[in-house]
Amino acid sequence: MDELLQAQEDLARALGRARVGEDRDLAQRVREAGEQVAHLLSGLLKLTRVHAPENRAFDAPVAEFGRALSALVELLGTVHLVTVEDQIYVNDVRIRIEGKAGSRDLGTELRRHDTGGLSFHAPLPDPSVRALVRALAAAAEGEAKRSALLGRLQAEGVTAVEPAGIFRFRLEEGEDKRSPDDVVRRVLGLVTETSANLSAGRPLNPLPLRRAILAVLDAGLGAPAFWGGFPAQAAPHALHALEVATVSLATARAAGFPASFLQDLGVAALVHDAGYLSPGIGTGQSAFARHSLEGARVVLRQRGFQEAKVRRLRAVLEHHRDFATPNARPSPGGAILRLAEDYVNVTRLYGTQVLRADALGALVKGGGTLYHPVLSQVLVNTLGRHPPGTLLELEDGRYARVAAPARGPELWDRPLVRPLDPRTRELMAEVIDLARGPRIRRAVPG
Amino acid sequence: MPEPPSAGPPPRAPELDAAATIAAGSPRAQAAAALVGALAKAARAFTLYDPGNTLVRQFIGDYRAKADAATAQGPVTLEVKPFEMALGTEVVYREEDRERSLAFKLFRDGVRKLTFGRGVTVDELVRLLQILALRFVGIRQAEDDVVTLLRKAEFRGITFVAVEGYAPEDEDPEEGLRRRGGEPPADFDTPFPRLPPPGPIAWAELPADALATLRGEEAPEALSRAGLKLAAELVAWAARGALPPGEVGQFCGELRDYLLADRELGLLAMLADLAQRQPPGQLRDELLRGLADPRLLEAVLASLPQEGGELPPEAARLVPFVPAAAVLERLAGEEVGGRQAALLGVVAARLPADAEVVAARLGGLPSAHVRSLLRILAQRAPEWGDRASLSLLGHADPALRLEALRALAASSQQIPSAPLVKLLEDDDEALRIAAAQALEHHGDTAAARAVADSLTGRKSYSRAEAAVLGRTLGALHAGAALRLFDGWLEHKRKLLGVLRVGEHEELLRWAAVAGLGAIPGVEAEQRLEAVAKWADEALRRHVHATGARRRAEGRRNG
Repeated sequence: MDELLQAQEDLARALGRARVGEDRDLAQRVREAGEQVAHLLSGLLKLTRVHAPENRAFDAPVAEFGRALSALVELLGTVHLVTVEDQIYVNDVRIRIEGKAGSRDLGTELRRHDTGGLSFHAPLPDPSVRALVRALAAAAEGEAKRSALLGRLQAEGVTAVEPAGIFRFRLEEGEDKRSPDDVVRRVLGLVTETSANLSAGRPLNPLPLRRAILAVLDAGLGAPAFWGGFPAQAAPHALHALEVATVSLATARAAGFPASFLQDLGVAALVHDAGYLSPGIGTGQSAFARHSLEGARVVLRQRGFQEAKVRRLRAVLEHHRDFATPNARPSPGGAILRLAEDYVNVTRLYGTQVLRADALGALVKGGGTLYHPVLSQVLVNTLGRHPPGTLLELEDGRYARVAAPARGPELWDRPLVRPLDPRTRELMAEVIDLARGPRIRRAVPG
Repeated sequence: MPEPPSAGPPPRAPELDAAATIAAGSPRAQAAAALVGALAKAARAFTLYDPGNTLVRQFIGDYRAKADAATAQGPVTLEVKPFEMALGTEVVYREEDRERSLAFKLFRDGVRKLTFGRGVTVDELVRLLQILALRFVGIRQAEDDVVTLLRKAEFRGITFVAVEGYAPEDEDPEEGLRRRGGEPPADFDTPFPRLPPPGPIAWAELPADALATLRGEEAPEALSRAGLKLAAELVAWAARGALPPGEVGQFCGELRDYLLADRELGLLAMLADLAQRQPPGQLRDELLRGLADPRLLEAVLASLPQEGGELPPEAARLVPFVPAAAVLERLAGEEVGGRQAALLGVVAARLPADAEVVAARLGGLPSAHVRSLLRILAQRAPEWGDRASLSLLGHADPALRLEALRALAASSQQIPSAPLVKLLEDDDEALRIAAAQALEHHGDTAAARAVADSLTGRKSYSRAEAAVLGRTLGALHAGAALRLFDGWLEHKRKLLGVLRVGEHEELLRWAAVAGLGAIPGVEAEQRLEAVAKWADEALRRHVHATGARRRAEGRRNG
């Protein structure tokens, strides 16, 4: 066949597939409601030049704004209205403002308060909309203008609106080099927000999670920040999701899976326990038994058929499935999640009694029945003789924790470690390479 | 061997003429400008034209040729700015209209540098175009942006530098960690299942073939089968009451769309089987409803030979999911007889479920199709067939009225006679005859009177009509008919021979003879024999033909 014709057919098919995968309805509704919210807010601010917000002239647009915002909150959960230079985004969806000068001015109005965006955590009743408009229309106060705006909103009882800082387009690649610690915080925050949204019955928004996974991969899975020393205030379920994601990604990468699979697997790992957020899931054994299927329902709610969704759906559905299940062997994604989740759970639940290496040893023993036999060996190769987090007693008498996964076959049993402060037993910032440093005396549970 | 890229002038498309290329200075910048311009045009073309359009093919060819030319001397690295793209210090693309601007779309998603390597393959060029086309068309924005798509593509000949599109100028690092509600129970993932006792661990070489098999299971080409497997599992869960049937039906509908886009007829048939295998109930209904779609018709028809014929087995399994309305629409424009027959077969398979739809659409179809469809309706959904025929009696097209009458005549259901009686007064003889024939099966005493009136009230009609009316009269009311026929057949003689009768009286005799043929019993037979003795040549032949028909019908009816 003519090469161009073939290319054209491939493109047509790709577009056809993509259209099939699209939740057209949701995207359209977000865009329409987002446009409404932005335009109405802008219009309300303009109206303050003529009338006070208590004036009857505000009745209709305030009510309309309230309805549009309520529809958006219903769809998205927290609504992030962001102005970037002369552009407006609602939860990453760009709002069309061409030919609508009023909306373009919204950014200028917000910037008077050193504010680049507003996060709406809940729908607003009429009095709160008027209070918001009053606060935004008032003169900016003092040095900390955004804090002043927040204070004014809170004083008026508008607690569901949070001003955000000024945004700008990043211009250079160097600007975007986030540290692994930043990436960890970002992932934890996203999981927390996603859980809140899913818990409220809102649809999953995969794009921010996907970008966060890209950030993890860019920062490098070998970075110690991904394997311990996490922020103390992080929610346990968010930490769990992050750990399952990093172990899964490391395993999949070592198994040679392509970038597209890593992205999808990473997103699945971040939401694999979403089923626990279903109403009436309960606790204990019954919740444990049901949560995989309920999690699959969360993914199922996303409309459209596409590779990412199918991978996500299977991985979430199968993440507790035994490898040897008759006629229902888990997909590679499901098998990797199963392995990663069990490893993370053993260390989470029994870490004070069981060595991480022994946890790996149990997983290897379960290869072929509970776990994919090759993948469990991949995990062993990846994490090393002393997996990250393992407490080691060094020959020089110091104690240290393994800071990162294995660096290859030669260094498989000589990891990077971070010593513990002998007085506080806190992790120190220093990283010691045991390929050069003291020998390991023994590994200790805990 | 691949064909060389198009060397002709760039394709013309007035809508895309404003695509921004600018006059760059150095030859390398000119070549880069031509490449970016061609890429932007090709990507935007998908917003304006069907992907199969010839112009699109020309744009792809032009883009490929420009890429070859631009990278001939070495890699082309383009810096991406909000509205511009530059090669070094030379701007090679500028477009300030955000909706049209390739630069803005790349910039917005965070791409800051794009490099086309020397010898970049056609495959990679096309995949890049695909990514950009997706963004121009604006689909699937919740799942991917340019950067995630570029990362997935794992290009070798095309490299890029990306940052996050926008970011806060100052950031509270702990902001995202605030609890917002929505947490799993504290004892999540417990009780943890018992694991085997630990074994020793050691680094080991990994079996490459086993890993390749694993990766193959997740390859894009395995997606259809994976989707089907997943659908089967979800259906099984739903059958156990663990998933709402509606959610599973929705998923199966989405999978159907994907398989349709990929023209996977065999897998579509397996999906259809999955639904058909379910026992009657809500799940089965949801699946059947979720899978039915007019677009399946295209897949079914694509499997037919050009000249028509039998549907392949996998296509036949899809037929129950093709709504009849779509088939009828297609039937109206189909000219090949074999394919018409196949389409009618599809309609037949959709009955009686779609009978109402078929009945409602008959009025817009050519009479030949109406005839076939009424016959099919009569077989598969007789009640709807009669209803459709009765409604067609008022149609403006006499051909459709005729088909309807013929269908009613053949119906074994009870039909009201009034609309048929009304047609006895129609201007069109063929319709009157058909109405009378239908009344023979569906008339009553009142209809018999109307038939008699039709024979006596009008003075001029054909012998054929007279015969049909007479036969109908005899069939509807034998007693009254015999009395009338005796009068019409009274043998009047004058002194010198048989008295000549008028044309109308002759027609009544013709009707009476035919009517006697429809009346059972010896009496009618004797009357026919008596008429044969005095009738002229034409009437005698009519008597004989009627007698022969009567005997044949007698044998047929035992």
